[in-house]
Order: sequence, then C-alpha cells, then structure tokens
Amino acid sequence: MEGNILIVDDEEVVIKSCERILSPAGYNVKGATSGEEAINILQNGGFDLVITDLKMPGIDGMELIRWLRKNSPHAGIIVITGYPSQESIRDALQLGIIDYLPKPFSPELLLDITEKAMNTVKAKKIEEKPVEVKDVEAKIGEIMSAIGQNKGKPGALIPVLQQVQEILGYLPPTVQRIIAKELNLPVSEVHAVVSFYSFFTMKPKGKHNIRVCLGTACYVKRANEILGKLKEILGIEEGGITEDRKYSLETVRCLGACGLAPVVMVNHDTHGAVDPVKVGDIIKQYN
Amino acid sequence: MERYRVNLMLCGGTGCIASGSLKIKDALADEIKKRGLQNEISLTLTGCNGFCAQGPILIVHPDEIFYEKLTPDDIPYLVEEHFIKGRPVQKFMYKEPEKRAAVPTMNDIPFFKYQVLRALRNKGLIDPENIEDYIARDGYMAAAKALLEMTPEEIIKEVKESGLRGRGGAGFPTGLKWELCARVQADQKYILCNGDEGDPGAFMDRSIMEADPHVVLEGMIIGAKAIGANKGYIYVRAEYPLAVRRLQKAIDQAKEYGLLGENILNSGFSLDIEIYQGAGAFVCGEETALMRSIEGKRGMPIPRPPFPVVKGLWGKPTVLNNVETYANIPQIILNGAEWFRSLGTEKSTGTKVFALTGAVNNVGLIEVPMGIPLRTIIYDIGGGIKKGRKFKAVQLGGPSGGCIPESLLDTPVTYEDIVKTGAIVGSGGMVVMDDSNCMVNVARFFLEFTTEESCGKCPPCRIGTRVMLDKLIDITEGRGREGDIELLEDLAQDIIKTSLCGLGQTAPNPVLTTIRYFRDEYESHIYEGWCKAGVCRELSTFYIDAEKCKGCGVCAKACPQDAITGEKKKPHSIDQSLCIKCRTCYEKCKFGAVKVGPRDMFKEEMEEVEA
Repeated sequence: MEGNILIVDDEEVVIKSCERILSPAGYNVKGATSGEEAINILQNGGFDLVITDLKMPGIDGMELIRWLRKNSPHAGIIVITGYPSQESIRDALQLGIIDYLPKPFSPELLLDITEKAMNTVKAKKIEEKPVEVKDVEAKIGEIMSAIGQNKGKPGALIPVLQQVQEILGYLPPTVQRIIAKELNLPVSEVHAVVSFYSFFTMKPKGKHNIRVCLGTACYVKRANEILGKLKEILGIEEGGITEDRKYSLETVRCLGACGLAPVVMVNHDTHGAVDPVKVGDIIKQYN
Repeated sequence: MERYRVNLMLCGGTGCIASGSLKIKDALADEIKKRGLQNEISLTLTGCNGFCAQGPILIVHPDEIFYEKLTPDDIPYLVEEHFIKGRPVQKFMYKEPEKRAAVPTMNDIPFFKYQVLRALRNKGLIDPENIEDYIARDGYMAAAKALLEMTPEEIIKEVKESGLRGRGGAGFPTGLKWELCARVQADQKYILCNGDEGDPGAFMDRSIMEADPHVVLEGMIIGAKAIGANKGYIYVRAEYPLAVRRLQKAIDQAKEYGLLGENILNSGFSLDIEIYQGAGAFVCGEETALMRSIEGKRGMPIPRPPFPVVKGLWGKPTVLNNVETYANIPQIILNGAEWFRSLGTEKSTGTKVFALTGAVNNVGLIEVPMGIPLRTIIYDIGGGIKKGRKFKAVQLGGPSGGCIPESLLDTPVTYEDIVKTGAIVGSGGMVVMDDSNCMVNVARFFLEFTTEESCGKCPPCRIGTRVMLDKLIDITEGRGREGDIELLEDLAQDIIKTSLCGLGQTAPNPVLTTIRYFRDEYESHIYEGWCKAGVCRELSTFYIDAEKCKGCGVCAKACPQDAITGEKKKPHSIDQSLCIKCRTCYEKCKFGAVKVGPRDMFKEEMEEVEA
C-alpha cells in the first residue's frame, strides 16, 4: 500500500516504532514531536494521513485536528490515545477523524487501521475532486442558454457572469473557461473581471448565505461584533462556507437599509436591528 | 377611476418589507374582504416613505393618519375602530420621544414637518408599479413639453438657469454638462443614469428608484433630447434587486404607453433605455470607471481629458447624471427655473435628499431645502440624540467626506459651506455619531473601505491608503507613536494631489477632518493609551463607578464572561482578569456607572495578582 503518513507524538519512541512497522508495508512515513512542528510540516501539503497523539504540550491533538479540518480537509486523521476517555474520543470523532488507536497497540492493529483509513481517504479523493466540474455539468444547459442570450451584444461579459452565477451560485475556473470560449474572449480577461468585482465569487455559496452589512450606520451600531459572533458560531471566516455546505458567510459594504441598522441578510430576508448577542437565534431559523 | 372612501397607502420600501409590511398587506386585504369593504377602501403598496425605523408604516388618506410599527395581529382591531367606527387608533400612532403624546397626522410629526418634497414628491402617494398613478400626478407632462414644445437649447437654458447641481457628490452644474455634450457633433451619443449608490450609509437613490421609477425615466428622456442621445443605460447596483425590478417594470410600461422607444409621442424623437446591473465595485460610481464597466471590462478610471461629454461610453459623447439629479428635472421643466431657485441659496439651489442615520432618534430618508442648518436636521427632524447621549459628530459624504463637530453645527447645508468644513455634501449620506463613537476608529473604518475599494490602478491611492490604514490600525491597537499624526497629515496631502480619480483624491478626507476636529482623541490614543469612548479594546479598561452604581444587576446579567459581581443594591465591580471588553455592560447601564479608563489603569494591581 502506498501513501504519505505523518506521525505526531511528543514521545519519540512512539514515532520510531510506528515507522518501523509502517515503512516496510510500503508507506512513506515522517514524524513530528509537537503540534507546532506538525503544522510546519503540513503547511506544504502532500500528506494523505496524519496519526496524532491527543495529549501533547503546546498545540495539542485536538487543536491540530481543528487546524487540519480547516487547512487540509482531505487528509485523513487517526488518533492515538493513552487514556481513551469517552469525552475526548467523542469530541475527536465529531471533528471527523477516521479512527483511533488505544495505547498500547499491536503492530497488526496499527497496520489494519492504517490500511482501512488510507482506503477511505483515497476513495474520498476520487469522489471529491471534480465537484466544480460536476456542478457545471449539472447545469450546462442553463449556462449555455444564458450565454446565448447575450452573445453578440456589446459589453456582454458582465451580464453573462451575473446570470451564470445566479444559476450556479459561483464562478469556478471551469465555467470561466467555457464563458471565455463562447464569447470569444481571452480567459485572462474573464478572470480579470471576475476577480475585480466583489459581487462575483469563485467559491460556492452555502444553502443559506449570510451577509453582514458593514456600512457606516451598521458599523457604528456594532456590526463588527455581529460578524465576530457569527464566525464563532459557524466556525468559518468571511467568505467561508461550512463543511456541510449549509451556511456561507460574507460581508457587504452597504445594503441600503441603514434605517434598520445593524442589518444581516440571510438569503433574501433582511433582518434589522440585530442584537450581536442574539444573532445565533436568527441563524437557527434557517435549516 | 373608482372613488373610495378611504385610501390606504402601505409602505413597500425595502425597510418596511424587512419589518414585515407584506404580511400587513395580506392581513389588511383579508380583513377588508371579510367585512365586505372592497368598494369603500383601497389598498396600495407604495415606495419608501422615508421613516424607515418606524416600519411597517401605513398612511390613511384622506386624513393622512400615520400608523407605525404595525403587526398582523393589530389589523382586525384597526379596521374595526378606524375604518368602520371612524375612531383613529392612538396606540398605533407615532409618539413624541419625550412627551409620549400620540401625533395623528403625518405632517405634524417633526420628522416630516421641516421637509420639502420635490425629488421625492410622489413618495408614498403612488404605486410605483403602476404608470397610471404616476401620470395622474402630472407624470410625463414635462417630457411631453420638452419633446413637443422645446428645443434642446431651451431645455438646456432652463436647467442651467435653475442652478441645479449634480446630486451624486461633486455638485457639477447639470445644465453646463448637458451644454458641453450637446455642442459635440457625433453619430451616436449616450445618456446614462448613475444608480450605483456605493457610499455606505446612503440610500437616497435606492428609495427614489423604488418609490418613483418613472421620474428617473422622465428625467432621462428630457436629458436625452437636450444632448441628442437616443440610447440610455441605468446603472444600478446588483445589491438593489427591488429597484432593478421596479425600474424594469417602469421601462416596460413606458414602452407600452409609447413614452419610450421609437418616435415618442409623435415627436420624431426616439430613445431606448436599458438597465445595466453593477457587480459591486465602489469605484464604478466614478464616471469613467462606470463606463468601462458597462463596456464589460474591469471598472477602472481613465485620465481626463478627454471628458466623457466628448469621449465617453464606447468612445462616444456621454452624459452621466445621478438618480436624484434626474428626479429634479421634470419639475424644473414644468415649473420653470425661477420656481426651482426659490428654495436654497444663490449657489446651491433647490432641495437635497439625505439619508439620516446613526445615533439620532428619527432615522430615515429626508428632503430639505439647501441652506438648512445641520442643527435643524439633527435636532428638529432627527429628534436629537438617542438615549439622551451627547452629540459628537456628523459624517457627511461617506468615504469621500468628513466628520463635522458640534461647534460647526450651524453650518448651512450647501455645497460651498460644507466644503469649508473639510467634508462634502456628497451623495447625501448623513451619519450622526454620539459620544460612544471613537473618531479614530471611524477614520479607520473609512480607510479600510477605501483601501479595499481602490481599484489599484494608480499607486498613490493603492499604496498610500494602505500605509495610512496601517498607521490607523497601529494607533487604534495601541502601537501609536509620536509623529504618527503628522505623518498621516503629510501622506494625506500627497494622496490628494497625485491620485488619478475622485476615489483617491477624497479618500484621506475622513482622516483629515477627524484630526482637525478631534486631534485630542488621536493624542489620547497615542500618548495616554486611552480610547475614551471604549471602542478600541486594547486601549480601554471598563470599571464601575461605585458612587453611581445602584446595584441593579443588569450589567452582571448581561456580562458574557460572568466577570461582574456584587450584592443587590450595592455597587458592583468588574473582575479585570475575566473582562473581554465587549462593551455590553457599558451599553446596558442606565445610570452611566460603567466608565472607561485607560489601558494601564489596573496594571499594577494585575501584576500583583499575577505575582
């Protein structure tokens, strides 16, 4: 079996023994003795699987898992734990780890679990890669007719982009190439326009798109606290989307509803006079 | 037309829809039907009334009774009492902030009393989706006059004499712009309407487009005749879906009635108008950038001259005016330049629409004669500062404007007087700030905006605003140093002098005006480590004044950290090691007992605790 694995444990002996077992089986194994070191190595990508201890000084296992979920969502995770407390395992499982290894473990168990995890990661990779391609293929008819309607008109590009984004929700590179070809424009020009206007996005939107107004009137009424609270609740940054594609979060400059400041828009609903503390209640209405 | 005993005008502006006016519409229609009053009571969904914070708003004609903040549950009682028994319902009326007395009719409410409606003359009186309502209010009379009875020269002369200046911000004389374009010979000319209202805190143009879309078309028809254009575009922000829908409907209806298209009213003049949706770039409010955007390119400005009146959209002579400018044109043509000049001052004639928001009691859309003092707007129309707080500044002109302090509140609102304060009239955003706002932070907010919205073409704007912003971030986060203020002032002058377009040339204004009027705040941030408004977290410490605290416990309950403790009816205190400076207690305390101290207020004590 092939694949790149990173072992993270503050006891060097654990790393060494894992390496001794996994390398002969065909895996490419590296080690890190702290969460900090692991993040440093992982930043460059290229790992299929991370096997990590939970209890470590500094950045611990849970923090590393959270970092991985955000920055390297394709990597599979296995947790090693000396004290398999129900609580910590449950938390880790909720963050989407594949499996866990209670210490001490036998070489056979390590090999079994690693193989199983590696298969899961690879299967997911094949399935996940062409999401944007799949999205575009599903709606290609509508997209082509939107392009067709505007073809030949002067200044057709922006209306085409607006309509396609309405259909697809976002403008991934695949669709930009199609538009360029159909309108007989260089791809660079299409991309230049997409990246210039804030209305266009290359990231998919969630089922519920949340827009926080940061206009002056909203700002002086604590809109930035609303934004902070939403980031905390959803666990995503501005422009981000939750893993289940349910919520996406963005900011806008002014929705022109200043009389109701501070304003939050969810999909097409405008919510006025939002209390930063209670913004979670608004989100709960959308499922 | 059928005559009804009572006409109900329900506000269907964006603000009122957000507070539920569509549900009120259904409830009213149900109730009217249930009681068999369909032939006696009419119900119309109008454009924005302007008093957005009180929505949903219902005006009952002919008596002009004003009802606010209605809920669907209120409707059966309202219909029974008022429309059947004839007793207007006090509890749904507007109450004066101080006396709590109900004010029955709209024109007696101070918010409306000082206003003069010209550009907004049809607001709340017509159904924006019905051209006949507009026509019934003399709509398209001016267009007919201009097309059938006037030469382009006469139209331009009337507009020039009216003294109308562009309402989009810079205040360029509209008649002169038209004249310059009319003089140019070309096979094709364009007339554009700028509805890319990008200033945060401004929603005048949105309200006009939503409440009275035909007036925009009529203004454009007259302008097109004056300059000799037969193709027009209205550039509207994609963030304004309701405005786009209503304008499209207006265009379709006008075409159907022969008021747009080929040979309008048999005058031999033709004009076609299309809507073009913007895609969210503040710089596209700049005329040359807007034209690039319609051409389907990145919206970046180009150097002038050549000016757009000579070489604009697709290289053809083009006139671009703002929504509110067009809304003034039909009245000038109908009533004459003299009538228009009867309001305002010598150099700033007519009225101006403002979006009044922020810390005042009454927020919403207002139209006032030019020359009215700021004080009247804030204290009479706006009803003073909320929660009895102290006025600190009023921000005019958005990211290109500035903050005007208390001492200059008697400044008349005219293009020339406002410029003297360092701000600009701009498109009409007016955000009032009280003593809980930090002016350094406000400057930072606007610089964040311009830095992000700079198109990046010219370095003074792209890099200069970034450097200014970094300095402001340093100051608000406690890393300010001696010389920072001077550096900001110096840099600002360079950016103003060397930027390509209006965005960069005006971007430093919010910083310059706040330094000019609130230099002490900058200094206390830098030298005392103290944000006296308690906005900049790194520079404030929240504590409870034992003498003022009544021990009501409201703050303790609201504190998300449980950092506030104390026995009931005895002074409470804040545990500094737990406080995250979220300001909640400061906002909640009704007695002003939560105070803001400098960053290092409890430094020694904290160190002792840690030791």
